[in-house]
Amino acid sequence: MKSEPTDAGTSARDEPGGIAIVARGLTRRFGKHTALAALDLDIPANQTFGLMGANGAGKTTFIRLVTGFLLPDEGSIRVGGFSPTSNPRAVKQRLGFVMETSRLYPELRVRGFLRFMGGARGLEGAALAAAVDRAIDQFQLHQAAGRQIGNLSKGLQQRVSLAQAFLHDPPLVIVDEPTGGLDPVQRGYVQDELEALRGNRTVLLCTHDLDEARRLTSQVAVLEAGRLVASGTTDEVLHGDDPHALFRPREDAAS
Amino acid sequence: MTALRALIRKEFASLFGSPTAYLTLTMVAIVTALIFFDHLRVYNQILFVYASTTMGGFDTDTIPDYINLWDTVFFPVMETLGLTLIGAVPLVTMRVFSEERARGTDELLVSTHLTPSLIVIGKFIVTFAFVLLMMLVAFIYPATAISKGGIGLQHLGAVFFGLTLHGFAIATIGLTCSAFTSSQLLAAASGWALAFVLWDFSWANAFVSEGTAAFLEAVALHPRYGSFAEGIVSLDNVAYFFGIALIGMAVARFSFDLRRVGS
Repeated sequence: MKSEPTDAGTSARDEPGGIAIVARGLTRRFGKHTALAALDLDIPANQTFGLMGANGAGKTTFIRLVTGFLLPDEGSIRVGGFSPTSNPRAVKQRLGFVMETSRLYPELRVRGFLRFMGGARGLEGAALAAAVDRAIDQFQLHQAAGRQIGNLSKGLQQRVSLAQAFLHDPPLVIVDEPTGGLDPVQRGYVQDELEALRGNRTVLLCTHDLDEARRLTSQVAVLEAGRLVASGTTDEVLHGDDPHALFRPREDAAS
Repeated sequence: MTALRALIRKEFASLFGSPTAYLTLTMVAIVTALIFFDHLRVYNQILFVYASTTMGGFDTDTIPDYINLWDTVFFPVMETLGLTLIGAVPLVTMRVFSEERARGTDELLVSTHLTPSLIVIGKFIVTFAFVLLMMLVAFIYPATAISKGGIGLQHLGAVFFGLTLHGFAIATIGLTCSAFTSSQLLAAASGWALAFVLWDFSWANAFVSEGTAAFLEAVALHPRYGSFAEGIVSLDNVAYFFGIALIGMAVARFSFDLRRVGS
């Protein structure tokens, strides 16, 4: 791995209009397969930023590098001025993470799960109880609070997944495929919630859905085979004659 | 510490939120009871044979010293229980890490204040606590019955301590296997295989050099556990079991690093 610059002491929320996530020459390989190839990407603070691309384009790898779940082979990544590699705690304090609905604990009850996630993010006592109550209010989980997650509909599970990400009021939230497999009503609910966040904090939204990206994001980047093939405002990138062309494989893509 | 406490509470909730924990406790209780009563039955038959006189009377003076509750019932029960744990404990440990990997929730855990080291410590603590509960379920009944036969509490305490350390060692093996796979079946199978291999190497004595045999004897579980079962608590045996636990935790922790850099 290349050496990274020293951590700065500011968060994304401390820098309105600044850059929340900076990737420089970010490369990650899995054996012979290059999942990300020398990616340079700036994700601005306090905006909803769409990360798009076909399956296998490198979106999940990028998220895993942001959260520190994976280490880069080359290059660097900074989250709110901090490196997930050398200062993971500072990054985690600033980070909320919404995964696909299947990645929850079906045996836990909703309130118990939220208490666990709040505790795991350092909240305790009255602050934890207040954060859990606030999340249940915000995501309208009153009816589901005492039920096991595995017995909830997929839409309710996604609300639970969203709720846990906001417990510690993070300046940066990563949302991975939030509406995949949801019915139109639940999809609309989740999109409304995400739309309400616009401008309040940085949201990194991974999605395949062009309409969702148009509705929720102000800027997007499109990955293909680990390379950045397009980036700019959502209007510029997705309002061309054939936006689907961005997701079709090209011959010069990285292997 | 807040994050670790939260993880421990969640692990307990997950453990007792699935039927595996109850099934395993029930299985251990039933198997222990069956083993105990079978040995007690044999003991009673031996007593009867020795004490019966040709005149049809009953004379306890004819019973040799080596026919006693300790040697005939308790010691073999504890020996068999040590082996039974190898079958039962991996059923509990198989899901601990591999389920997180299969669901992808390990990624969620790592995005919180929980470091890989804290995750490993939390999961080991909860599993050891469950093994302790399993030991109590398995041990209390035969211990209570046997203590009526005159075995001192100190002796019983040593046996229980050894049994618990032995359970921890098997749990460590199972957890370590679980940390390297997303398949619960593979985690259980590899845990069983490794624990059975480590149980006893005396069969290999005929095939290896004296030095190798001594080494295998030193790393085997059975001789260490057997020493406790005889009521002997020695520091090197305690250190052996703690060593296994520490090595297992380090290897499980290493599995996280392996995934971070791995291909």
